[in-house]
Formats: sequence, structure tokens, C-alpha cells
Amino acid sequence: MTTAAPARGQAAPSSGRGRRPRLTPSARRERNAGLRFISPWIIGFLIFTAWPILYSAYLSLTDYDVLSDPSFVGLENYQRMVEDPKVRLALWNTLVYTVLQVPTYVIVALALAMLLNQAGRSAGFFRTAFFIPKMTPPVAVGVLLLLLFNGQYGLINRMLAVVGIDGPAWTTDPMWIKPGIALISLWSVGASVIILFAALRDVPTELYDAARVDGAGWWRRTRTVTLPMISGGIFFVTVVNTIAAFQMFDEAYSAYFGAGNSTYSNDAALFYVIYLFREGFQELHMGYASALAWLLFVVIMLVTAVQLVVSRRLVYYESEQR
Amino acid sequence: MTAVPTSGTTAVAGAGVPVPGAPVAPPMPPSTPPRTRAPRHGNRRPVLRGVVIVVLAALAVAFVYPLLWLLSASFKPRGEVFDNRLIPANPTFENYVTVWQEAPLALWLGNTVLVTVLAAGAVTLSSALVAWGFAHFRFRGRGALFGLVLATMMLPGAVTLIPTFLIWNQLGLVGTNVPLWAGNLFGSAFYIFLLRQFFLSLPREPFEAARLDGANNWVMFWRIAVPLCRPAIILTFLFEAQASWTDLMRPLVYLQDSSTFTIPRGLKALIDQFGPGGESQWEIVVTASVITTLPMILLFFLGQRHFVQGISTTGSKG
Amino acid sequence: MRARPLAATATATLVLALAACAQGTQDDQDGATASAVDFGADPGDSMSVMGFGTGDEIAQVRYDRAVETLGDVDVKLAEGELDIQAFLSAVASGNPPDLVYANRDQIGTFASRGAILPLDDCVEAQSIDTDAFRDEALQQVTFDGRVYGVPEFNQVQITMANSDLLSEAGLDVSDVNGSDRAAIETATSELMRADGNKLSVIGYDSKLPEFLPLWAKAGGADLISEDGRTAQLDDPAVLEALEFAVGVYDKQGGFAAVKTFRDSADFFGAGNQFATNVLGAMPMEQWYINVLNEESPDAPVAFDAFRGSDGEALAYATGSAWGIPEGAENPQAACAFVKAMTETDAWMAAAEERAAARERDGLVFTGVLTGNEDADERIRSELVPADAPQPWADAITAMYEANDAAFATPANPADTEFETAWTDAVNRVLNGQQEPAEALAQAQEEAQSALDEAWERWDEEEG
Repeated sequence: MTTAAPARGQAAPSSGRGRRPRLTPSARRERNAGLRFISPWIIGFLIFTAWPILYSAYLSLTDYDVLSDPSFVGLENYQRMVEDPKVRLALWNTLVYTVLQVPTYVIVALALAMLLNQAGRSAGFFRTAFFIPKMTPPVAVGVLLLLLFNGQYGLINRMLAVVGIDGPAWTTDPMWIKPGIALISLWSVGASVIILFAALRDVPTELYDAARVDGAGWWRRTRTVTLPMISGGIFFVTVVNTIAAFQMFDEAYSAYFGAGNSTYSNDAALFYVIYLFREGFQELHMGYASALAWLLFVVIMLVTAVQLVVSRRLVYYESEQR
Repeated sequence: MTAVPTSGTTAVAGAGVPVPGAPVAPPMPPSTPPRTRAPRHGNRRPVLRGVVIVVLAALAVAFVYPLLWLLSASFKPRGEVFDNRLIPANPTFENYVTVWQEAPLALWLGNTVLVTVLAAGAVTLSSALVAWGFAHFRFRGRGALFGLVLATMMLPGAVTLIPTFLIWNQLGLVGTNVPLWAGNLFGSAFYIFLLRQFFLSLPREPFEAARLDGANNWVMFWRIAVPLCRPAIILTFLFEAQASWTDLMRPLVYLQDSSTFTIPRGLKALIDQFGPGGESQWEIVVTASVITTLPMILLFFLGQRHFVQGISTTGSKG
Repeated sequence: MRARPLAATATATLVLALAACAQGTQDDQDGATASAVDFGADPGDSMSVMGFGTGDEIAQVRYDRAVETLGDVDVKLAEGELDIQAFLSAVASGNPPDLVYANRDQIGTFASRGAILPLDDCVEAQSIDTDAFRDEALQQVTFDGRVYGVPEFNQVQITMANSDLLSEAGLDVSDVNGSDRAAIETATSELMRADGNKLSVIGYDSKLPEFLPLWAKAGGADLISEDGRTAQLDDPAVLEALEFAVGVYDKQGGFAAVKTFRDSADFFGAGNQFATNVLGAMPMEQWYINVLNEESPDAPVAFDAFRGSDGEALAYATGSAWGIPEGAENPQAACAFVKAMTETDAWMAAAEERAAARERDGLVFTGVLTGNEDADERIRSELVPADAPQPWADAITAMYEANDAAFATPANPADTEFETAWTDAVNRVLNGQQEPAEALAQAQEEAQSALDEAWERWDEEEG
């Protein structure tokens, strides 16, 4: 984003407030050139963002199945949303999953990053190992979920049995379906590890040295130096993963929904976006699905806003003068 | 799982672009003065170091193991898929033959390569153009406009999913692969942000010199800025290639005829047919999963440097 | 170029262009619509089929024959089971296939959405002999006297059991064929083996949720009224059936344990559950006889019909049907293709091919249930060996007995939603989330409201 420097060639504002200063020809050329380069995005924004937002708002007030014209029904879709037990279920599933997955994910990423930080020259090699799984297509992750987490013969339960734990039926027991998905999502923690690792490397050693001189032990150093200094990175990883968790779709849909899965229960894996997708593209309730999308939008915005507010207290940005 | 919370222009809810864009937080200035980096604790306490290495090694094995398991399972005959042995007891190539017969894999791979190249190419070019517009030119309202770009990153794909589908439907392009890449012709907020960072860090001298020589804007962009930022350009291409290849939501929405499927969509169809609800022929599903994943692993090794560097940079600049 | 005019023009153009967006696709289709199809016209050049697979001879032979019948028309088959979401999206976007192959219990929902066409004109134009089809199969796809699908196949359940395990426990197949529920419960306990939480032998698999209608009917109850308008899920006999079937799972450590064990079995291969002696008995669809005969002909299997408490054979029939989507480009070719696929001669040709293949491999030809009565009879009398070795002879007898005694869900325009309601209820019970009575009560509500809505829409449009 721009700092306070004024645009080149712009005339000083005239004394009266509110009158737009006129641009010099060179300033105008500069602006037009800039806008020309930016125009693809502007066009795309109008067609694929601005218009769809308006259109989606309109659709949410209609009953539309694409085969026939939309019919205006006012707030009926929203009312139905309030009464629909599946909406409550989907929201609940998504919330539970997010609350379960995000903290675990961030902590694991942080732990791995901190380990890498102590690894010296071989950090790069391990970093690569942690990142590779992230390249796996989510559909394939769904396959691995079904196979490795099979309650009777899957690898995970076999390994748990080695240490004497009787593993649950991750893929059929509704209580364990979400934890199973959360667990396999940890497999893709690599990118966040890289981000946090980079953040850790950026912490100036002087701070650690000073803390050591003051007699601070490891935990104290971590709490007072490390965590604050990388709080920006932690915040970043948290917010992004929260938003992603709210939109969980690919892995769960691959494993638990679709043509082959109509007989067995998948209520526990009915995430919000999956329900939205089904309502829109299988039941062809486009109006209702649009209303569902708006609810999701509001929820995500609220959660992100809360996170932002919390961050003002907790996150330290080096460049700011607060 | 990290994924981009983007607008409807590119990735839709759930599509996994490896690294997220910045949230709407107070931005960092483009360049920070050099400072002492934490040394990698080279010679301090070798015992601790040794323990750490062992732990990391164990974890690294754990992370890579599922991929090895998958590869190994694809060489096992049907009954043995669950025996969890790393080296198959009775290795066989038959699964690869069978899966090729059961599904039009070559077709799916071809479709996916086409879509991926188009999508990645389109977004790289357009995002570079837009990023250049924001980086190099100064005008009133630039900040606000860029703020708008950032704001669109926060838009959940689900909100624009249905209207976007209806737009493509009206254009008669549902059922083709056009909706899977054409949206990328207009740039994507995340890559615009990323490339702008790089463009901003370029010195102004070469451009002033070029302008004195009479070069126009396009030449300055194409002949000077882009080559200087090649790593970032390559990075953008690779990231989007990965996102496009692995995308499931858009093929689900736009492709119905199985001959047009991309390979993740095809894999899903195979799961439906041969997986738990279908015929329990896991060996086919496993083999197809390997075929779906392998190109991404190869892509990673080809562009490893770029992936890692790109993620580190984005994270720290975010 | 100025920024402001650019923005203004762009917005204006978009608003105009996309104001036209909110329009139904049906208006601008030049494909088939309900009122406009002339099935007697000449077929076009090409035709696409969705949802069918040519996995075995019965499918392949008929398919090849049908393609030949169509002559110059180029038939494009996208192999694979029907994905409802893909199909409905295709119809919505104006790109439907010309022919769709679905389960009979999906036809009602498709019809009531306007996604498929009524086929009476097609039947007439191609002289499809609807009398040849089994009554309950045809009835399942007929609404208000109009036919929406052409039936194919009949799937019925018979009892399959491991004779070795049975005799070891001093039991026999009549203890597990459904006629005596207490006997099944005893058999379950006797036959199952578990090591702590891990099952190593399933005693009895009651096959929930799919077979609830079978268990209900065995107890004398129907899930839905005969006219298809009233759900009867809260009938006490249905509750009893559900409690019994769930109880069987509970005896064995719960449904999750049984399912995960079942999932890891080599169901379609030589290491199947009977061959490896890990299953006592279960009701199962008759096509599995072929799998067993092919993959593990020496496995110790015993067969009997599934029987109700009166000892009479009983089976819940399901099957497939062909439908022609709304907006199909080439309905005429589709219609001709359907005729060629489902006529008696087609079935005979396919069955002959399979019988020959079986003989070559030294296996038993156990018959095919085609959904076409004439074909069924002819196949049985001409091709099925009268002196088949055991246990296959029992299997054949059981199969045809079941076929004759089969019942189907009455046709209704919300069949998918209805099925989802009771399936979900059963699943909730299986997962321990709800008690059977509660679950069925909830299902009753959901099912009835879906039925009411669909029938209302149906009666409005058709009445």
C-alpha cells in the first residue's frame, strides 16, 4: 500500500476544501497507464465478483431450479434456513471441526518449526520432507483417509495397537469422523511450518542473548522473545487456516459423499460447504443455496473480525509505532 | 490445511492454493533493513542438536510414509492392500493395467495438463500485468483500489460459486473446461499481491533510463520488470499449477461428461465406483491415486526451490 | 482511455448483459421438451448415454446388439455408475445425455423435477412390449398411468450362509433364513467370533440400512402406502423390524465394528467372506451367486430364499431403468436403443452368451433376473441347467422363488427423498445417535412432508 507520498505531478490542492485538484497531463498519463495495466483485474472483478455478489443476494430471495425461471419468494429461504435441522447440523459440524483443527494445526506447525530451528544445516532437508505431503491432491488425501484410518485394518489403528491403544472406527463412528479428518489435515501442515520457520529465523539473536544474560530459561525465552516476535506469522497462519477450515470440502466430499455413498450415514461429515454444494447442484435449490452462502460469509467475516480484534492486543508488528 | 480465501475469480472454496494471502492487517513496508539473523545454533549443545535431529528424522519418516504406503499399495494384488507391508509380498503391475482399462486415464491426464497450463499461464500473465500497474504507476486512489483487491481475497468462494455457475451456464460453457481456467485471465488477488511485492522491490533506475531511451510502458514491463522478477513469475506459475491440477470443486460443478474430467474428478468417480460404496476394489482406487499424485510430486521436485522460497517470503511479508 | 467512462461503460454493459442471465434454461433449449417430442421422427446422428457400464456379458452383448440396431447413429457411452449430481447439473445446464440409466427408485424424483420425459409416446412409436415386464418393476416407474422409465433387471434377496460354520454350530440354513427371528439371534451369538473389540467372524449381517423394507415386510408392514402418498415409517411392525435388525449388530459389537470388518473384505474376489469363513449368514442380492460361483466355487455356501415369519419366500425388489432426459437432443435414437436393450431377444442373446462362457469355464449358469417376465421364463427353461450341482441348484431355486415373491416400493414422486429419510433414520440408530422409535418418528415426519410437497406439485401440474 502506498505511504504518504503524493502522486507524482499532482498539483497542490487549491485552498477550498472538497474541490478535486486537477491533474497535470503527465499525472493523467501515469494514471491511465496504470489503470490500463490494472484493467484485466477490474473487468474480472466486475464480472466475477461484484456482479455475482449482487446476483447472489437477489437469488437468495428467489426459488430457482435453473430448469424454470426464478420466482421471487422474499425472505422464505432465510426462514427455511432457520428451521432447517441440516443447516444447524452443518454449522455445528463446521464449527466443531474448526475449533478442533485450527489450534492443533497451529501448535503442530509451531512445534515443527521450532524443531527445525534447532536443526542447523539439515533443516532444509527436513523442511522439504514436511512440505511434500502438501502437494498431494485433496482427493487422494480422501482416499488415504479411508484406507489408513479404516477402523479394523487401517495403518493408524495398527500402529496404535502396537502401543496398546484400541483405535476407534475413524471412518464410520460419527464421534470420530471429524477428528479423523482433522488428524489427516495435519499431514498438510508443511506450508505453515515453512512460514513459521522463516519467521523464527528472522528473530534477531541479540534478543535471545539479552534474555539469556538476564537468566531466562527456555520457556521464559520462548514466551517473552520468540512468541511475540513471530506473533505476526502465527496470526497469519491462524486466520488463514480458520477461513480454510470453515470451507472444508474436498477431502470430506471425496471420502464421504458422492455417487457411491448414498446408503451410509455421513451426517457427521456434513460440512457447511458440502451441504451448500448439494443444495445448489444436486437438489437444484439455487436460491436456497445462495442464502446459505450469505450465512457462511457473515459467519466467516464475524470470526475473522474477532480474530483481528484479538490480534491488536496480542500481535506485535515490528514496523508499527503503537 | 492452508487454502486461499479468495474471491470467485480463481480458487473456489476448498481449492488448495498452497499459501494463503495476507489478511487485512496493517501492512509491512516493502523492505526492511537487514538485521542479524539468528544463527542456526550451530555449535551450541551438540547433544540437544542430536536429539532434535533424531526426532525430526522420525517425524520426517512419518510424513513421507503415507506416500510410500500408497505407492507400495498400488503394486499389491487386491487382497493385500490392507496388509500394511511396505514392500509388497507379491508385487504386481496388474493394477496399473487394470486401471488404465477401467478408466480413460490418458484422456483425463491430457485434460488436466491442458487446463493446468492454461490456468497457470493465464493467471501468471494477467496477475503480473495488474501487479505492475499497482507497483510502478502512482496515482490517486491506487491505495484504495489495491485495498479492494486485498478485500476480495477474503471473500469465501462459496458466495460467488452459484452466480458464477449461472454466468457460465448462460454462455453455454458449462460442460466444457473453459470455466476452469478462463476466470484466471483477469488476475488473482493473491498473486497480484505477491508479484506486486516483488515489483516494488525493483530499483527505479533501469526504468528511468529506459524511458529516456524512449521505451513505452509495455516494453518496460515485458523487457525489464518481468525478467528481473523471474523467480516470482515462475513461483506464481507453479503455485497455480498445483492449485489447478488438484482442484475438485470446479470440475464437480462444471464437468459432467466423464470424457472431459480432470484427473482429480476422475479419481473421485473411481472412488465412487470402486471404493467403499461401490465394489471395494481398493487396488484400482489406490493406483489411480498414485497416478493423480505423482505429477504433483514431480512438479515439486522440479520447482522445489521456488515453492519453499515463495512460501517463506509471503509468510514473512504478510 | 479515461478511468471513469471505462468503469461506466463496463458496468452498464454488464448490467444489461447479465440482467438477461436470470432466466430458465428450458426456454432456450431446442432439445426435447415434454410437449414437443416426436418419437416417430428420424433419429439424429449421435446419442449419448450416462450411467451405464458394460462390465459383463449381459450388459455388453445387449449393448453391442443395440448399437448395431441403431445403425448409423453414433453411440457415446460414458461408462460408470450414475452420479445424480452430475446428471441433474447436466440437465440444468442444458447438456443432458440422451439416455440415462438410473435405479428404479430414482425415477420418481427425476420425473417430478421435470428432468425426464414421459415415455408413452416412445413406447408406442417403438412398439415396446410393456406387458413383458414384471408388474412390480413397471409399476415402480409409472406415475398417474404414464410410464417414465423402462425397467431392466430385478434384484432380489436370498439367504446366503456358510454351511461349514452352520454345521459346526449345529445349525442349518433354515435357522438363518428369516422365518424365525429368535433363531437368527441365537445363530448370531453362536457363529460370531471376536477378540475383544475386533471381529474375526460376523455371525449374521442384517444388511441395514438397505434391507429395512425387507425386514419390515417380513413382519407384515410396508414402509409406504400402496398409493404412494402416505409414509408408514412409524408403524409398530417397522419399529420391531428395525429393533431386531439393529439388535443383531449390537450383539456383535455394534454396526461400526461389523461395517469396518466388512469393508476390508475382498468382497468380489477369491478371498471373499464365505471363502475365508468370516461370515455366518446374510441376506444378499442374487447377483452375488455369480460372484461366488466364479471366484470361489468350492466355498462352503448354502442358499435358501429369504422367508417371512410365515415361512413363505419374500424379497424386496430393486433394479434399474432407462429414462430419457428433458432436453435430450436425440430422443428418437434413445427410444430405439431402449427397445433394443430391453426386448426379450436381447436378454436371450446375452444369457446365451453367458451360459456358453460358464460352460467353457466349467462353472454353473445360474440364470439372470431381467425384469422381463418372458425373458426370465425362457432363460430358466432353456438355459439354466436342471441338474446343477449343489449348492448352486439350491441357489437357483431360491433365486427364482424370490423373484416370484418379490414386492417393490410403490411409485411416488419423492422416492429419493423418501428413501433418504428412512435410510438416514436407520443410520442414526446404527450410529447410536438416536433410539429406533425416535428415529422412525423423525423419518416419518421428513418423509411425509417430502411426499406431500412432491405430490402437491405433481397433482398441480398433471391434474
